[in-house]
Amino acid sequence: MSTTSFSAKSVELFQNPLNIYMGNKKLLLMVDNTNSVGILRRGTVVYYVGSAIFAAGIALLAAGVAFAMIQRIHYGSEPWEILLFFIFTGVGGTLILAGINMMMKQTRYGYYIIAASVFVSFFALLIFARNYSNNWYYPLVSYVIALYTAGFLLLVGNAFANVILWMISGKPEAVGLRGEEIKTYNDEEIERDIEEATRKSIELSASELKFRNLDVEGVKFGKAFRETRGDTIRIKDNMEEAKSLEEAIKPGGKIKSGSVEVDKISMQLGEAMRKGAVEKGRFETFKAVVTGKIRSLVRLTQLKK
Amino acid sequence: MAKGLDIGTMNIICSERENEDVVFTRQRNAFLELESSDLTKTMLDSAKVLYIEKDGVINVLGEDAFKFATIFGKESRRPMKHGIISPKEKDAIPMIKLIVERVLGEPGHRNEVLCISSPADPIDMDMNTLYHKKMTEALARRMAYETHVIDEGLAVIYSELSDYNFTGLGISIGAGLTNVTLAYLATPVMSFSIGRGGDWIDEQVSITTGLPKEHVCAIKERGFKLNFEVEFGSPDGALSIYYDALVTYIIKNLNRKLAEITPPKVEFPVALAGGSSQPNGFLKTFERKLRDAKLQIDISNVKQAKDPLYSVARGCLIAARTQEGGDVEEGKTEVSKK
Ligand SMILES: Nc1ncnc2c1ncn2[C@@H]1O[C@H](COP(=O)(O)OP(=O)(O)OP(=O)(O)O)[C@@H](O)[C@H]1O
Ligand SMILES: [Mg+2]
Repeated sequence: MSTTSFSAKSVELFQNPLNIYMGNKKLLLMVDNTNSVGILRRGTVVYYVGSAIFAAGIALLAAGVAFAMIQRIHYGSEPWEILLFFIFTGVGGTLILAGINMMMKQTRYGYYIIAASVFVSFFALLIFARNYSNNWYYPLVSYVIALYTAGFLLLVGNAFANVILWMISGKPEAVGLRGEEIKTYNDEEIERDIEEATRKSIELSASELKFRNLDVEGVKFGKAFRETRGDTIRIKDNMEEAKSLEEAIKPGGKIKSGSVEVDKISMQLGEAMRKGAVEKGRFETFKAVVTGKIRSLVRLTQLKK
Repeated sequence: MAKGLDIGTMNIICSERENEDVVFTRQRNAFLELESSDLTKTMLDSAKVLYIEKDGVINVLGEDAFKFATIFGKESRRPMKHGIISPKEKDAIPMIKLIVERVLGEPGHRNEVLCISSPADPIDMDMNTLYHKKMTEALARRMAYETHVIDEGLAVIYSELSDYNFTGLGISIGAGLTNVTLAYLATPVMSFSIGRGGDWIDEQVSITTGLPKEHVCAIKERGFKLNFEVEFGSPDGALSIYYDALVTYIIKNLNRKLAEITPPKVEFPVALAGGSSQPNGFLKTFERKLRDAKLQIDISNVKQAKDPLYSVARGCLIAARTQEGGDVEEGKTEVSKK
């Protein structure tokens, strides 16, 4: 029994890898789509690292802005104050964008692009930190700004491209979890599933069952044995139920053999189709009436002419 | 033509149509072992008793086993318990086979459609009905019938609830089991059985009153009335108490089972059938308890089958005739395709 239920469970898992059972702990399952088809992909760990980086970026940016406000930074402030402010906000901004990018699914080159742009931005900030106030003159200033902006724009562009790609592929995922695919199971449901699978397999093998030795051998029958079948009673009965039953089960065709084949879906489908037919029928007659009216109106006007 | 067959713990009933009538053929699902002797055989033959002889042992089959048990001071045996053939009872299997063959008779033509009722798996016993189902199916197939199997409760619905579009609860309270099916538009939504029925009542009353089971059963079948005002010391009181307990038990389990599903939001009528639903006052008691139970589903009305003992067999015949009609139509389309 235990082996059957195990195999049934593994079959179930095999057929539907998203249904991962985890005892009765109601577990939220992050869907890891690293092996899914399509151009976009992302690992689970990357998602969490990405959100951490994103949070860190926000913190840095906030710290930078707070620092600027507290120190009342302006054009003529102390150089170390200005330096610190730009480093904080610069690093913060880059981290925010990098984090967002990491939380998204990426194309094949996505992570290289992120790494490269972060590197470019940080390099620009490094040059800035090295040269500010002493060497901070015309050509270098524009190079540094260009370099930082390039990294920044690369990150923004990458994120934008991913969103567009996601929209085209029509998948309900950009950042975060996919609602429908998070399934929770409790013990009872799992047990029922396993039981169901086991029962089906037994049912299947039972349909191939053949009995030998059905004959009773070496038997002598009593005289009366061939004469009577049993007590009979005769009741007048026209059995109209057989007709109505035939009507009732028409959509599905055959009689369902009981507990085994409760085919609700096909029944509901049949029902829905029948309703649809009625609706259509009504619309059809309505249409006929209207077109009939219009035609007679047209004829009337023609006659008057 | 088509036939229906109800293989029950106590009765095996075949139903078929003859002109404007439905004919039910019934045999007791029992046998009695006797030692073989010429005298016994002569006696049995002259009394037109159904028996077989094998390896020096006489087996009286069916109704007569019951009658002769008292004459010979022996106990008749039953090949089935709780609604199914138990594969453990090796020498009982040939007996049930012979009784079924007898009751069923030869098919009118090859592949005559036959619908057999089968119990659903009980929810209060560790028991599987699948093997039983397969065995009975094989038996009938061997006789060149085209066999189908439906749940006993569904057969009750087919037989009794046609006015309600085959929507409702069909309950068959038999000897070994109580079978319940909830159907919506002729499609079963839920089927289960409960391991208690007439036999359970006989046993319990026998324990409390000290009377033998057979005796209790005879009193019960002679037509007792379900009420609590009884003659002092009569077994009717005990019968009433255990009948009441049986109804409570059935409804408790029904309630429990209904909680597991989401049935369609319609009113369901209830049809009661089976030999054990026959006592006077049973319908009333059942309805009162059913209404008190506040089930998950709305109950419109509760009715008793026209012929409770034959309702399941009749439902099987209806299913068989429908199946037959369907097959004929299918055959036609196949021919026209060619
Ligand atoms: N008039 C009656 N009053 C009460 N009980 C009765 C009466 N007649 C028969 N019974 C009981 O009905 C039961 C037999 O009913 P039925 O033939 O429907 O059962 P079955 O189909 O053989 O059994 P099962 O469906 O459980 O396998 C027996 O327990 C019998 O004692
Ligand atoms: Mg029965």
